[in-house]
Amino acid sequence: MAVVFAALAALPLTPWMSKYYMLLAFDALLFGAVAMSLDLLMGYTGLVSFGHAAFFGLGAYSTAVLLERGVLSIWLCLGLAIVVVTAYALMVSYFATSRRGIYFALLTLIFAEVVYTFFRYTQTFGGSDGIQGLPSFQLLPGLAVDTPVRIYYLVLAYLLLAYVACRVLVGSHFGQVLVAIRENEDRVRFLGYNVQRYKMGVCLISAVLTGLAGALYPGRAAYATPDLLHWSISGEFIIMVMIGGLGTLAGPILGGAFFILLQEKVSSYVQWYSIVVGLVLVLIVLFIPRGLLGFRHAFRRRAGQQAH
Amino acid sequence: MEYVVGVLLPQLLHGVVFGAALGLLALGLTVIFGLLGVMNFAHGELFMFGAYAGIAVIGVTQSFWVALIAAPLLVAAIGALTEVATLRPLYRREPLYGLIMTFGLALAFREGARQLFGGDMRRILPPIEGSIPLLGMTYPRYRLFLLAFSSLLLLAIWLFFTRTRAGIIVRAAVQDAEMLDGLGVNVPRVFTLTFAGSAALAALAGLLLAPVFTVYPQMGVEMILLAFIVVILGGMGSMGGSVIAAFVIGIAQSLLTLWMNPQRVAIAIFGIMIIVLIVRPRGFFGREGVLE
Amino acid sequence: MPQPTMLAVQEISKSFGALGALAGVSFSVRPREVFSVIGPNGAGKSTLFNVIAGLHTPTAGRVMFQGEEITGLPPAVINRRRLAKTFQITNIFPGISVLDNVRVAAQSRLAVSGHLASLWRRPAVDDRVMELLGAFGLEHRRDELAQNLSHGEQRYLEICLALATDPTLLLLDEPTAGMTPGETKEATALIRRIALARSLTVLLIEHDMGVVMGISDRIAVLHFGQKIAEGPPDVIRNDPQVIDAYLGGADD
Repeated sequence: MAVVFAALAALPLTPWMSKYYMLLAFDALLFGAVAMSLDLLMGYTGLVSFGHAAFFGLGAYSTAVLLERGVLSIWLCLGLAIVVVTAYALMVSYFATSRRGIYFALLTLIFAEVVYTFFRYTQTFGGSDGIQGLPSFQLLPGLAVDTPVRIYYLVLAYLLLAYVACRVLVGSHFGQVLVAIRENEDRVRFLGYNVQRYKMGVCLISAVLTGLAGALYPGRAAYATPDLLHWSISGEFIIMVMIGGLGTLAGPILGGAFFILLQEKVSSYVQWYSIVVGLVLVLIVLFIPRGLLGFRHAFRRRAGQQAH
Repeated sequence: MEYVVGVLLPQLLHGVVFGAALGLLALGLTVIFGLLGVMNFAHGELFMFGAYAGIAVIGVTQSFWVALIAAPLLVAAIGALTEVATLRPLYRREPLYGLIMTFGLALAFREGARQLFGGDMRRILPPIEGSIPLLGMTYPRYRLFLLAFSSLLLLAIWLFFTRTRAGIIVRAAVQDAEMLDGLGVNVPRVFTLTFAGSAALAALAGLLLAPVFTVYPQMGVEMILLAFIVVILGGMGSMGGSVIAAFVIGIAQSLLTLWMNPQRVAIAIFGIMIIVLIVRPRGFFGREGVLE
Repeated sequence: MPQPTMLAVQEISKSFGALGALAGVSFSVRPREVFSVIGPNGAGKSTLFNVIAGLHTPTAGRVMFQGEEITGLPPAVINRRRLAKTFQITNIFPGISVLDNVRVAAQSRLAVSGHLASLWRRPAVDDRVMELLGAFGLEHRRDELAQNLSHGEQRYLEICLALATDPTLLLLDEPTAGMTPGETKEATALIRRIALARSLTVLLIEHDMGVVMGISDRIAVLHFGQKIAEGPPDVIRNDPQVIDAYLGGADD
């Protein structure tokens, strides 16, 4: 992985890197990071969140609200995003984890829908137009992140930090319990663990990581709109994880990047886009459920599997 | 008094009808989840298909009544096909995959309908026109028909689940799917028939409501969200609970639109759900001991 | 002087809606004894275990563990008080290795568990885990995915998981279910040995009468949710009610 990151760091230096490609790369890495944090929930703990767009969008709006008011420090933006997303995630995860697994999917969806409805249909944060025309944020007064190259390195740094954090988490005691919960939640309870606490914990961590990513988004787009909160975005996150591979960290990053690139190409056929997305999902689940990177895991397991 | 009779009462009745439709959807969700272990995210789309299938059949036969029979059958067939082709391979896998699969199907169905029929709002004209005086107000005859029909339908469903052998087995299996193995029934066939049956119910609801609301590809989305709330409130695995919760939500929704705009109503319903979850975490009728 | 009671089941009744599963069951288990619960299918044995372990709340009655009431507490809390249960249908973690299976179980007792530090620390429990696996002859299967184990090995793993949480009272729900007669004999001897070595109290559900008679200090017999007999193996073997209901009538 270190090699990969080094390569990514060198990317802007290649000759054919135009602004367009830089921003595309930004998107690929940013959404890759989101997919990775979603995989903590989906692949490692077995909880499907259909409302992850809410975390992303809330982070974006946090930044937007501050930038709009002339507060340009990126650190304050990130800080606000953490606060807002944590508060929301605490509420959602509390209700969503108090009952069986399926409720998690349903409640994350419903909560996210309400958030979307609120931002889209009330005028508090700009209604359907959102908050537009934002200035760039600053690392330090005078050091604005206002070129594609700078924003690219910013997201790369974020991805690196997020990756390291996830790696540590996955290898820790906490991470092992998460996997056990995925494998057999009831048994974990009988081993003395307060399962809800673990589920809430991973949900919070995943939410904050996604929210931080969302907080970086206005740096690239100069706006925050309710579209970022729509359930279709949540669906796209899920697709990214599925493409890349459940239960790995690098997989979803790849899946996210792959999806962004795919989207770029396919969206010229704008009309058919959603059908393609839906069908891709159906086909993946049926035929390559472990995704691109998870595939070799599937082989290994099938080889040793006894007949049921 | 004028207000009660002229405004409140009709709205209440609207709510009952809407609640019945929601009940059909929620029942389908509960049965599919209990039996097949899959939360069918595409259920709203089956509802939507019912309306569009109705439009198609009416276009050919000019008869709403023929559509009432043909459309649910058509959608049942689609449901059966879908179940066999996409859901059956997933039963042995973790439940996560079924969720994602139905989500993907919902996306594809929604957009497919938009491609086939266009994104514009369509209308189905009510087959029964006019209003009649009822309890001091004038009430549209079609809605009266809806009330009667949906009550009969729910009664028939109740009878099915309590009086017929097939129904009793399905009901018991919803609570404990493993018992089917010991009964010597053809499990895959039962699954497919159940899925097709709930698809037909959803389609019927969609067609019946179509003359009241408009028909458009996204119409299933709002319904499914409400149906999810109903299922959460009613308690998973409790079919009676789903139906009762459906009526509660349906009536609440209908009455609230008198005083708030649609988006605020959605948030209010959501608020109701939260309050109920705080006070009774298992919903109205959730069963204890299933490690809920 | 009365012996201290490890577990006291007092007038436990449990109904599921209209279905009555248990009616007024009472007995006590003494420390370090092996106490078996037997009875025909549907007698309520597993339900009783589920009530004791916290999965169900009884409709009536109390469960006292080491002098403290545990009725209605959640399973995780009861386990922390050192009461561990195994399952009749193997309930392990299929997709991870045998070693990881037991590791998760063993780590639940550590101080770091449930605290913030668990987000990055990885506790060193391997010694204890390997020792436990060794006791059951599973140490050479440590890296194998649990789902690839043979049925008998999985039943052993099931017990390992429970033991790894360091219990004082062990509830074994048909530990030899699905085992061949040879495996059953081995397993029985193993359980007895380990229980002695660790000073465990064992509460056992079993169908195999050979196992029950050979291993138990005392036995309780359930029939249609009620206790119809209790006592040492010899007494039970000759009890006319028991023979009628269970031993004589149906074959085993």
